[in-house]
Amino acid sequence: MVVVSDRDTIEQPPTEEVVGLPARARLIRLVIATAVLALTLSGTVFGDDYAFPFGPPRMYATRADPDTPVSSTRVVGLTESGAEVRLSGGEVGLRRAEFEGQVPRLVDDPELLGLLAESYLANNPAAPPLVAVAIVVRRYELRDGQSTGSYVDDVRVTYPLPGAAQAGA
Amino acid sequence: MTLLRTGRGSSGQATLSRTVAGVTGWLFAPVPLARVALFRVIVYLFIPIDVFVTTRWVAAHAGVPTEYYQPLLIGEWLPLPTPTTAVVDVVKWLLIGSALLAATGRAPRVWGTTTFLLYFEWMVIAMSYGKVDHDRYAFLVALAVLPTVGIAHWRDQRRSEAAGFAVTAIFIAVMLTYFLAAWAKIRFGGWDWVNGSTLTRAVLRRGTDLSMWTLEVPGLLHVSQYLMIGFELLSPLMLLARRERTRIALVIFLLGFHLMVFTGVRIIFLPHCVAILCLLPWERLRRVRPTAESTPGVGPEVIPRSDDPVRAVS
Repeated sequence: MVVVSDRDTIEQPPTEEVVGLPARARLIRLVIATAVLALTLSGTVFGDDYAFPFGPPRMYATRADPDTPVSSTRVVGLTESGAEVRLSGGEVGLRRAEFEGQVPRLVDDPELLGLLAESYLANNPAAPPLVAVAIVVRRYELRDGQSTGSYVDDVRVTYPLPGAAQAGA
Repeated sequence: MTLLRTGRGSSGQATLSRTVAGVTGWLFAPVPLARVALFRVIVYLFIPIDVFVTTRWVAAHAGVPTEYYQPLLIGEWLPLPTPTTAVVDVVKWLLIGSALLAATGRAPRVWGTTTFLLYFEWMVIAMSYGKVDHDRYAFLVALAVLPTVGIAHWRDQRRSEAAGFAVTAIFIAVMLTYFLAAWAKIRFGGWDWVNGSTLTRAVLRRGTDLSMWTLEVPGLLHVSQYLMIGFELLSPLMLLARRERTRIALVIFLLGFHLMVFTGVRIIFLPHCVAILCLLPWERLRRVRPTAESTPGVGPEVIPRSDDPVRAVS
């Protein structure tokens, strides 16, 4: 008669044999695990995303005020006719959130936007030429945490592409 | 299990040594090597899926001007290369090769370690462009601890303390992802985070046809924020799940939560979900063989025959 515990199945109870760990191997694991745990906890308490992989898991941790508009940022190229070409969201290898993380830097140093247009045109030679790159923040209005359905577009920065300016001159 | 010498030292000492013995016993509670052998295959085969299908944007950083690269702390401490197109492509293919070799189960310490290091570098490439994701802490821990188990065969039903440590370490990492998320909400959002409009923002920005209706129901997303942080704060209790059936139920609950979030805002913590799978008794897939003599009366209480998700998964 085989004694069956909740670990077991009737078809084939597991062998009782246990492969143990020597004391030294246990100690090494304990020390490293404790160190990693300490780094993880202190990363959450004191660190930020810069401390990856020990930064705080701050997904959706920022409190959003129920009456503050919801912002959504996009980076667009402008063609001569004024049409928008999306440059954020994968077209040149950066995600929307990555642009949002770099917006302050891009506003200070808009020439970086020119590099973006170059990459885009290099990858899409058939695309219509761009005359400028802009960062647009769309703000959706909220009232008591509910969407009112209206929004405004706020152009944070427009960078005219030097080559396009020459061609236009 | 562990004999404690009591009565000789002070009772405080005895309590302490009993606690230490209890924690160590829990941390190294042996699990079948077959479980780790199967889980390992899932983890390593997930890497090509991660690179080529579900997290393709990492490889897309190959085409980003290097001026956009903003090194993390680790990138400044270690002499890691600036991710040029060539660097990204080389790391990608080395990682894929290493993960496939690791998935074979041969030389697990060697290929497991190289896979961990290459995946770590892959993550540095991923997270150094202005946005850090938080969906793979437990997956990184899994990659770090799996090589420490050593050789493990699919049919090896022996239980191993090294395997037990690996599973428990991943379990703790899974738990911490939730618990520390609550901590971060309180730290960055304040105690009033629950009364903010974080979920409304999320649905507005990323909502789907299946979630936009939640914007119309007054109070629903507000209450959801209470439930969410409540679950996260209580998440350490999940470590108490020791019986297989409790753990299976926990896995179903957690995966269900992530699936629900995915249908709502198109965000899924896929690597984290893969790490959660370490809690399932994968060794049963191999152990279950139709036998002539079954033992009626014992079986149904022990194994749920119809609703066993492990078999359904296979």
